Amino acid sequence: MSGRGSRVALGLLAVGPLAVAGCGGNQDVLHPASDPQRAITHLWWIMLIGAGIGFGSVVLLLFLGWARRNRPGLSKTGGSRETGLVVLFGVAIPVVVLVLLFVYADVFVMRSTAAPRPGATAMTVRVIAHQWFWEARYPGTDAVTANEIHIPVGVPVDLVGTTDDVIHSFWVPELNRKIDLIPGRTNRILLEADRPGRYRGQCSEFCGLQHAHMAVEVVAQPKARFRAWLRNQARAARAPATALARRGRSVFLAQACSGCHTIRGTPAQGSVGPDLTHVASRRTLAALAIPNTPAELRRWIADPQAVKPGAKMPGLRLSGAQLRALVAYLDGLR
Amino acid sequence: MSELALPQARAGRPSGWWGTALFLATEVTLFGTLFGTFAYLRFKAVHWPPPGIPEPEVLSPVVLTCALALTSVPVQAALVSARAGRARRAVAALVLALVVQSGYLAAQLVLYARDVDRVEPHRTAYGSIVVTMLGVHAAHVAVGILLELWLAVRLAQGLTRYRVVGLASTALYWHVVNALAVLVLLVELSPRL
Amino acid sequence: MTVVDVAGARTRTDRLERIWAHRPGVTGWLTTTDHKRIGLLYLFTTLAFFVAGGVEALLIRTQLAAPNGTVLSPSSYNAVMTMHGVTMIFLFVIPMTTGAFGNYLVPLMIGARDMAFPRMNALSYWLFLASGCFLYAGLFAGSGPNAGWFDYVPLALRQYDPGANIDVYALGLIFNGMSSTAAAINFITTIFKLRAPGMSMNRMPLFCFAILAVSFSLLFALPPLTINCVFLELQRQIGFHFFDVAHGGDPLLWQYLFWIFGHPEVYIIVLPAFGIATSIIPTFAQRRMVAFPLVAIAELLVAFIGFGVFAHHMFATGLSTITLIFFAAASMLVVIPSTIQVFAWLFTVTGGRPDFKAPLLFIGGFIVFFVAGGLSGIMFAAIPFDQALTDTYFVVAHFHFIIFGAAVFPLLGGLYYWFPKVTGRMYHEGWAQASFWVTFVGTALTFFPMHIVGLLGMTRRVYTYGPGLGWSGYNLAETVGAFVLAAGLLLIAANLALSRFRGEPADADPFFGGTLEWTVPSPPPPYNFAVVPLVTSPYPNWDRADREADALRLARGDLVLDEGHETPSSTVRDARLDEILEMPSDSPWPLAVAACVALVFVMLLTRHAVVAGLAAGLTAIALCGWHLQEPEET
Repeated sequence: MSGRGSRVALGLLAVGPLAVAGCGGNQDVLHPASDPQRAITHLWWIMLIGAGIGFGSVVLLLFLGWARRNRPGLSKTGGSRETGLVVLFGVAIPVVVLVLLFVYADVFVMRSTAAPRPGATAMTVRVIAHQWFWEARYPGTDAVTANEIHIPVGVPVDLVGTTDDVIHSFWVPELNRKIDLIPGRTNRILLEADRPGRYRGQCSEFCGLQHAHMAVEVVAQPKARFRAWLRNQARAARAPATALARRGRSVFLAQACSGCHTIRGTPAQGSVGPDLTHVASRRTLAALAIPNTPAELRRWIADPQAVKPGAKMPGLRLSGAQLRALVAYLDGLR
Repeated sequence: MSELALPQARAGRPSGWWGTALFLATEVTLFGTLFGTFAYLRFKAVHWPPPGIPEPEVLSPVVLTCALALTSVPVQAALVSARAGRARRAVAALVLALVVQSGYLAAQLVLYARDVDRVEPHRTAYGSIVVTMLGVHAAHVAVGILLELWLAVRLAQGLTRYRVVGLASTALYWHVVNALAVLVLLVELSPRL
Repeated sequence: MTVVDVAGARTRTDRLERIWAHRPGVTGWLTTTDHKRIGLLYLFTTLAFFVAGGVEALLIRTQLAAPNGTVLSPSSYNAVMTMHGVTMIFLFVIPMTTGAFGNYLVPLMIGARDMAFPRMNALSYWLFLASGCFLYAGLFAGSGPNAGWFDYVPLALRQYDPGANIDVYALGLIFNGMSSTAAAINFITTIFKLRAPGMSMNRMPLFCFAILAVSFSLLFALPPLTINCVFLELQRQIGFHFFDVAHGGDPLLWQYLFWIFGHPEVYIIVLPAFGIATSIIPTFAQRRMVAFPLVAIAELLVAFIGFGVFAHHMFATGLSTITLIFFAAASMLVVIPSTIQVFAWLFTVTGGRPDFKAPLLFIGGFIVFFVAGGLSGIMFAAIPFDQALTDTYFVVAHFHFIIFGAAVFPLLGGLYYWFPKVTGRMYHEGWAQASFWVTFVGTALTFFPMHIVGLLGMTRRVYTYGPGLGWSGYNLAETVGAFVLAAGLLLIAANLALSRFRGEPADADPFFGGTLEWTVPSPPPPYNFAVVPLVTSPYPNWDRADREADALRLARGDLVLDEGHETPSSTVRDARLDEILEMPSDSPWPLAVAACVALVFVMLLTRHAVVAGLAAGLTAIALCGWHLQEPEET
């Protein structure tokens, strides 16, 4: 009887990985795009096979027990043979398996996923986590951005992380394991992608009301494209091109916006919210919560609490005209 | 059926003693956690105590702790007397211990009132852990005094097995608290060592 | 054929009935010190908290059934998800396994008439009830704990959580811990001192070994949690500094102290379930447990080694390599005592004559989920894998397979197994088996997809998620599973409730169990054993000669102990009879002391330090009243 239920579970276990292999978004541990993550994913498959064997043997024994129900006339006590079997299956075999797993995972795979030593990589990115966005800085340049971290394909990057408030955790599943960002400490992780693409990640340590909407996107680009991107990000903000946009800049500077946000090249030097110098160059807003289109930007500014309840951005009382102008200005900050 | 014959005198320790011993195991773990926290914060710090905070004074804590630790003698003497059936001697020994322990507690409170600002618990982790550790210790001393007071009154009213077991438990409590007092002292003075 | 003096036996049991009678009515329940009544109080209270935690779970699952859910706001979700964890761990599973099952069964299994400290036993219960009410009063007042059940700082500091929510959490856990500490002291003393003559340590039922291991773990694990919460309250309420870097503190201090408690806690959760499994298996396989001494030692080793693995909850925090290696190695070591037990259980069943009645079915389900959850747990000892999958739904799957599959399934099986003993009636076997299958399928459907969705990148403690990540289908399946699971649990509850009134009458030993509780009538009389049993093996109910000898001694009046409210006490290792103890009967002091302690905590929460101090003084006075009553001098 219990054998049947166990077969259901076993079936799920077999089908599950196959179902998984094709079904993910781009935050999928089983679609590695870097050497460290490949090492972790291979480790997973090997452990799954081992777990399947272990689980299968237990299910087999349960089935055997069920098959032997209502057998006549048995000894009441366990003999030394059965104690020997317990020692074999319960001690000897697990010890061997665990030692092998320990050496494989905690010695060899650990080396692949180890954090880089300071100065060991050609490139560094500094990440400061906030409730509920990611600030990214590129040392050696003036580039500061938020929530969208570009890196060159095939180049190991030392991500040096900390937090400005509570504990967060940086995790981009397709590129590497996660690393907690803890106040007063810096932690490092290797960020590297071996093919171009957009890799989604998410904060992985409960950090308050909008922990669910604190995603990050790592964009791996060919080296030349990356260099162009970085050069652009390092520049001060573009001057507004139209009269509407110029009015928008005035709105930005007059309202509370400049108290929280920085736009390099303008008097706005706030450090509470994300740097907006090149906000229009990003694909999304509010840590991947909404796409970066003028309509969504307008919705976000008009009522942040409707998009991300608990976000620290206050709703400003702006007239329709002011809002239009502001959106036009921000939309020009490519 | 020799398994079912009652011995003349109880062979094992009474349940009340076991209960107290197990309770004391948790209290020792509590203090262990405090000491561990002190060490953890100490090894995270560059300067310990932090700049601006004086190192702990040695003489009064050492004298006071020695006085407290020595009260284990009258407490144990009280137990021996009670077991021998001498209630008045037991009560007298308890009263002696009580006087010294209350004096210790009073002196600690005075010292605390004088020094709390010097260690700055509201500004430093050092001050916070020191004050907490001393406070928890003082609370244990206070509870021990209350236990003794209760037993002194009850023993003065007469000697019963129950009260003697209570005294044995209280004696154990005091021996452990006194040992912990020495450890607290060593941890408190460790910046000087 | 031996002739027993029935009339002589009857006058003695009548006398025992009179001596051990409860006070009537509600007063009897409020002042009870009878371990069986206290066990039942725990049972119904923990079931009520199980329902509360289950409702919280269903709210979570409903919110997460589809992307961008709107059932719960983020702040409500955070409170519900926190209270789900706090309720299930502190107010359901531990009080159920220790307070309900442990209290009811341990004295019966060791041949005693009560626990070593009957009044402190009642105190444990009232403290538990009060602490649960304290936490829920906070929730209903809008200040429920909301930073997750492990409440990491700095999120839990005043700066980020300014309301009373975290104060409710910290004070509530300190309060709850007092109940568990008292219970642990009681269990250890009872198991050490009150075993029937002849029940040396190696003849003690394995369930009692589990309770012993749990009790020692509680004693050493709770103080770090208590101190941690004290530090948190001192920082929050009077501005001390333990956890903030700017003033010399460290947020990781909270994590270390929490997990030094938290990891042993999970073994505390699961060990009694092992004990229940090792009670049910020999009975339904009709043979002794294979490798009994190995199993007993394994239960103690799990608890002991479990203290050395705690930092595996912190593998992603940037620990040094040597620290990572040490804790990974210890985490693998702790697997071995568990695999010993699993194979001992399996070989007992395969080598016996298994009868798959409902209790054994639940143990079968338990083994399936425990092995699956244990295997995913071993995966987490592989450090890089842990560093990838911690804080995702993969770990949620792991610990729910263990907590629900491995801790709750044996409880459900145990409810069926001991139901006839407690109520004197049999449950309905057909419905019980059906309830097993519904619960099994529901559990598998709820928690298995979580492994997959964790691998697909879904992090935990999120109040919602977006479409297009491949998570929606699995979440919907999990929600369906949760409702199926709830249906299974309702079936179990209905079966037990109806059988309580309409079940077939059950005699003392419907399943031919081997331990002493099956030698007394169903339900047991208030005095448990009419005559003190003499024990010569770990399965005393299978030693018919000994039990017949007991009957003869009852008739002769040999060790019947009907002169007063008495139970025997024996030596710790070999259980040689040592003395006769006079036990207290019904008393109002436990309730009084618990009420005073509750007042202390409410005053601390509402920042009335002076009144809190006065309430502490009241507690001391109540304790004096308690100790005014002494046993009679002989």
